[in-house]
Amino acid sequence: MSAVPIRLALVGNPNCGKTSLFNRLTGARAKVANYPGVTVERRSGVVTAMESPAELVDLPGTYSLFVTSPDEQVARDVILGKLAGERRPDLLVAVVDACNLRLGLRLVLELRSLNRPMILALNQMDEARRRGISINTAALSQAIGIPIIETVAVNRQGVADLRDALDGYTRQPPVPAGEQVITLSDRQESVEALYDQIESLIKQHVIQPEAMPRWQDRLDALVMHPVLGLVVLFTTLLVIFQAVFAWATPVVDLIDGAFVALGEGVATTLPDGILKDFIVDGLIAGVGGVLVFLPQILILFFFILVLEDTGYLTRAAFLLDRPMRGLGLSGRSFIPLLSSFACAVPGIMATRTIADPRERFITIMVAPLMTCSARLPVYALIIAAFIPEQTVWGIFNLQGLTLFVLYFAGVLSAALIAWFMRRRAAREEFPLLLELPSYRWPMAYHLLIGLRERAWIFLRRVGTIILALSIVLWFLATFPGAPEGATQPAIDYSFAGQLGHFMQPLFAPLGFNWQMCIALIPAMGAREVAVSALATVYAVGEESIDAALGATLAASWSLPVAYAYLAWFVYAPQCISTIAVVKRETNSAKATTFFTIYLFALAYFAAWATYQIASAIVN
Amino acid sequence: MNTVISPATSAPALRLDQCAKGARVRVVNLIDQPLFGAQDEHVSLRLKELGFLPGAPLKVIGFGLLGADPLAVQVNGTKFALRRAEAAKICVELMTV
Repeated sequence: MSAVPIRLALVGNPNCGKTSLFNRLTGARAKVANYPGVTVERRSGVVTAMESPAELVDLPGTYSLFVTSPDEQVARDVILGKLAGERRPDLLVAVVDACNLRLGLRLVLELRSLNRPMILALNQMDEARRRGISINTAALSQAIGIPIIETVAVNRQGVADLRDALDGYTRQPPVPAGEQVITLSDRQESVEALYDQIESLIKQHVIQPEAMPRWQDRLDALVMHPVLGLVVLFTTLLVIFQAVFAWATPVVDLIDGAFVALGEGVATTLPDGILKDFIVDGLIAGVGGVLVFLPQILILFFFILVLEDTGYLTRAAFLLDRPMRGLGLSGRSFIPLLSSFACAVPGIMATRTIADPRERFITIMVAPLMTCSARLPVYALIIAAFIPEQTVWGIFNLQGLTLFVLYFAGVLSAALIAWFMRRRAAREEFPLLLELPSYRWPMAYHLLIGLRERAWIFLRRVGTIILALSIVLWFLATFPGAPEGATQPAIDYSFAGQLGHFMQPLFAPLGFNWQMCIALIPAMGAREVAVSALATVYAVGEESIDAALGATLAASWSLPVAYAYLAWFVYAPQCISTIAVVKRETNSAKATTFFTIYLFALAYFAAWATYQIASAIVN
Repeated sequence: MNTVISPATSAPALRLDQCAKGARVRVVNLIDQPLFGAQDEHVSLRLKELGFLPGAPLKVIGFGLLGADPLAVQVNGTKFALRRAEAAKICVELMTV
């Protein structure tokens, strides 16, 4: 065989279990990147246990080659070999959900008309059998002229059969027949002809009971109920936020404790000097201060993955469609916005499923107002330092309530801004047309893979950008040292001190001192670094980072200043990665400039107003 | 387009957006929806691709909170959420049980 690995592509409807199959085939070693030129997430991997090397690409889910959204377009362009820089796949592996045969077969028959080599993986066969669906696979395969492999993404047998089929293909690739060009002129009729074909195929080869499992319908009657459904939705969201803040605490304390012990250990072992300062104040304080938030990020992603895998997220989108439409958004924007609570970057990338370009634009513009997990460290630090831990109105914790207000401020602002932007644009209707997939138990394997991927992305971030920023900041805060006979603290003479003093007049109306100004700069790289930056400039790195720094802040900031700093972080469009992803997604310098300026202006104004009002009240 | 006929030329028909919750109906045809403008033909095509074809049996599962919008509809064992604007494109007849 040739040395060039063959290229396989997984094609199929959304929710057909493509990604689970991908994880099984590649041993979950996905290389996550972007397609050249577009920010649609491209997952590829090497198929394990194959006779000759094969690269597998997991294409975005699509219903048709007649595309309606940016991610469907990528799927089509890759299949047709039209995407520059992306070699056309040698073999298509079409994945069809056996419980949703019509929709899947429709895409397969459409793909068949391209005359490309293809294998059909009939997925979720176990669930289909449970529902009493019986498919004569051999006869169906013969009728459509495509090899069919029955698979169950959760067990190995079907996946092994699929590997054998792929090996068979590699040994003897069929000679591709002449290719067909799809024209759009006679599509309306061809859709019906295709369905006639599907109906007769199903009549001949499939025994399919009419009814869906009753528990599915009963569950839908509850979660899609106009009133009870909203109660379920808000309870779910409340549990998620509660979990992120309450359940993570023991683990956060554990990691925090480990870093303190590490810092103290190093501090007592190493001789005093510049190296010790660097390791303790620069490395351990900087990186440890951020790493403690890993549990919270994983808990948040865990819930988002579960909601996605079970099929609940689309029900939430259904419920929220009408209220969100009043703001110029739709149910489809709900999922990207929910992801933005974890991080705006994947959130903004998820907007590619929105067909309406105007709605997509607005969703991108407001996504960073959803409080991302990187802001948590900043909020947690300042709240713990300034807000007393007391119970209000019997049940609420004042600190938790403050946090909720900060989240709510972001959501409310996003709603107002979306509404304002929509008013300026001409209204054009776009369809919703959202599939509500069958409920499914989330697969532990799939969840673990997803979490591992997220943990790895975060750790890589800590190991690269956050580490680098911590080191640079430490140098800036340490050099040059204080001159002979200096009266001020050493940091006043350092580069960081000079820079902070230089910036301070601009931020004086907001009440920010020069230390706060310095922390804003590395926070552009990653918001969490504001915490380690404050730790470094206040030079308290050697103790438990949060507590000691909190005490220092409480002593040196007034309450209005602390509020103003929080208000700044609600709106500021930092980090750079968010701005970069906006640039890539909108592909417009004008939109990106607008995005950056409007959010900075809003942050400045909000912090200014907060400071002035809070000062007036306090005095 | 043999299946896309304007409401004026067809007999007064029941549209999907006028159906009650729990109604079981059958698709008669798809009609134009001026709200979608130039997009309308694409919307018709996508609806058909998802299975909203003449003869297909539908079941109305539920409605959203405000203005009973969107609608949840089951077609061929698959559930979809449609807005009123899309549902108004689908002419249906009640199924005689």
